[in-house]
Amino acid sequence: MEETLKAIVLGSCNGGIYSLLAVSYVVIYKSTRVFPFSQAAVLIVGAYIMWFCLIAWQLPIWLGFIITCLAGALLGMIIERAFMRRLVGQPILASIVVTLCLMLLLRGVGIILGKGNIQGFGESFLPVGAWQIGFLHIPEIQVIGFILCTGLIAALMLFYEKTRAGLAMRIVHEDHVMAQSLGLNVRLVFQYSWAISCVIASVVGMLLGNIQGVGLALDANGLVAIAAVLVGGLESFAGAIIAGLAIGILQMLTISYIAPLLPGETTMVVPFILLLLFLFLKPYGLFGLTRIERL
Amino acid sequence: MSINIDRPCGTFDRNYFQTQEIFRTPLRKALLAVLVAGLFLLPFLTDDYGISILTIICAFSIGMLGLQIITGYCGQISIGHAAFMGIGMYTVGILQRHFGLSFWACLPLAGLVPMLIGMLFGLPALRIKGLYLAFATLAAHFVIVYVISNWRSVTNGTDGIWMKRPGPLWGINFAADRNYFFLVLIITILMVYLATNLTRTKLGRALVAVRDNDIAAEVMGINIAHTKILAFGIGCFFAGIAGALGGAYYEYVNIEWFGLDDSIWFLGFLVVGGFGSIFGAIAGATVWKIMDEFSTVVTPLAETFLGGAAFYASAAFSLVFYSLIIIIFLVFEPRGIAHRWQMIKRSYRLHPFPY
Repeated sequence: MEETLKAIVLGSCNGGIYSLLAVSYVVIYKSTRVFPFSQAAVLIVGAYIMWFCLIAWQLPIWLGFIITCLAGALLGMIIERAFMRRLVGQPILASIVVTLCLMLLLRGVGIILGKGNIQGFGESFLPVGAWQIGFLHIPEIQVIGFILCTGLIAALMLFYEKTRAGLAMRIVHEDHVMAQSLGLNVRLVFQYSWAISCVIASVVGMLLGNIQGVGLALDANGLVAIAAVLVGGLESFAGAIIAGLAIGILQMLTISYIAPLLPGETTMVVPFILLLLFLFLKPYGLFGLTRIERL
Repeated sequence: MSINIDRPCGTFDRNYFQTQEIFRTPLRKALLAVLVAGLFLLPFLTDDYGISILTIICAFSIGMLGLQIITGYCGQISIGHAAFMGIGMYTVGILQRHFGLSFWACLPLAGLVPMLIGMLFGLPALRIKGLYLAFATLAAHFVIVYVISNWRSVTNGTDGIWMKRPGPLWGINFAADRNYFFLVLIITILMVYLATNLTRTKLGRALVAVRDNDIAAEVMGINIAHTKILAFGIGCFFAGIAGALGGAYYEYVNIEWFGLDDSIWFLGFLVVGGFGSIFGAIAGATVWKIMDEFSTVVTPLAETFLGGAAFYASAAFSLVFYSLIIIIFLVFEPRGIAHRWQMIKRSYRLHPFPY
């Protein structure tokens, strides 16, 4: 019982990060109908940029944070402008192959940036203490990460709900042709979506880099988040958030109950088994739109 | 038949045998003979290093043909193809290690085991398609790699398994690289023949119909579920054979050869080679493996530019350049080398006229 409760609390902290990552996938998928596998590697690049800012150039944290966010936005815009825009209207395979290749391309960039080494932030830029609540031992860093993730998701939702640009993006989510006939610049919305998504992914990258160390292994988190997106449903922010939390908790429960029985990286494979189960039983996820096609 | 378009003017089919021929004109037959003879002569012109490249190209061509059937013909995107190739290799390794079977007995099983597993992971195709199916195969990749690298008692985990090459047959000793290459080449030619003929059968046309519009295909009376799962089965069969041949060449197999990267390269170089054509699959595999050799040559340069350990320099080089090449192909020539080749052939055929 104690173990389960602990798993749920710690798991939801990790799950917050998965939720945010899953949202970053959904932002792009909803507006462009392209699934951005590349976000898994944007994490790595974001983490390395933050590492350069803090360790190599010795900048203050707030400046490093801003530079990383700007670099993320720029990266997203470049990806959209250079590659994705040319593939509008191409079959789905083209977009899948390009985003997968971008994932590997950015991984390669990550290797060049880090010279293949796993870097640490030396001293963590977030507090490292832990709170003791009853029998629960919660690292502060996890809680702060969770709060930051929640804040970012809330900010994104406010942006979608309250601003004019957000309204335009929601219209594009509905239908590209309709948005265009209303006089909206759909391309610009695509570019915004990539920029927003890459900013989110870079922020997650620096958070995870602080927790797990800055290295190529970070993209495993991105891949797990892909499972969360699918379980939640590709078109749903709520689904992504709920499924992200659920997968975080599931991973922690796996560590306590399944990992002792099985060898290897069970935490990595359990989300994908869940994904396969969902694809068998409820292919469009918890809140995804069921597509009805006609000739 | 689709190949009619490529024929020179005035070639008519006068009986059913002629309509069924793959290579219709005497020139094509002669060229085929020259090509096959050339392939058999090649190993005498190069050293062991060249033969190793040729063997690997042949093995990967078979694997790429499998992906061509799944993705190029049937339109089901698979991001787990390298894992199925790995299953083929491991099947041979495990059967040799635990049951002492000979390579010849293992080879059909190396095709059948991935075929069954591929059909199992293809089952979601009953309900989903496109992007969703890509996720299913991605998940399949992780599950397969996890099982192979952790089922230590059977697969020896990440340490890999030592394999044996096929024993001597009719006095031919396959321990010599050149003789082994001939074996791989013959099997490759056989598989290419099988795949070419598959595309001309009822099933092959059903695959293309499912790719082009699955709802229309269903209306026309094609059993989509059956066709998709068969496509997965056949594609993974090819992958398994490719894996068995490649693994036996190295006489060793390790799961670390089958990362997510390799599955993505499979898909990417299929695009480079060309979609929906047998020639495209072979061209894709050839470009891929030649690039591999190129990257080992360029690595020392990359090392001086990037600094750091050689291993990482080479990894970064291949990641960045392969993905750039694939993306550039997708942007500028989405139909791949095969389409270019068709254009060249056409302009030769129509020579004095532009079209």
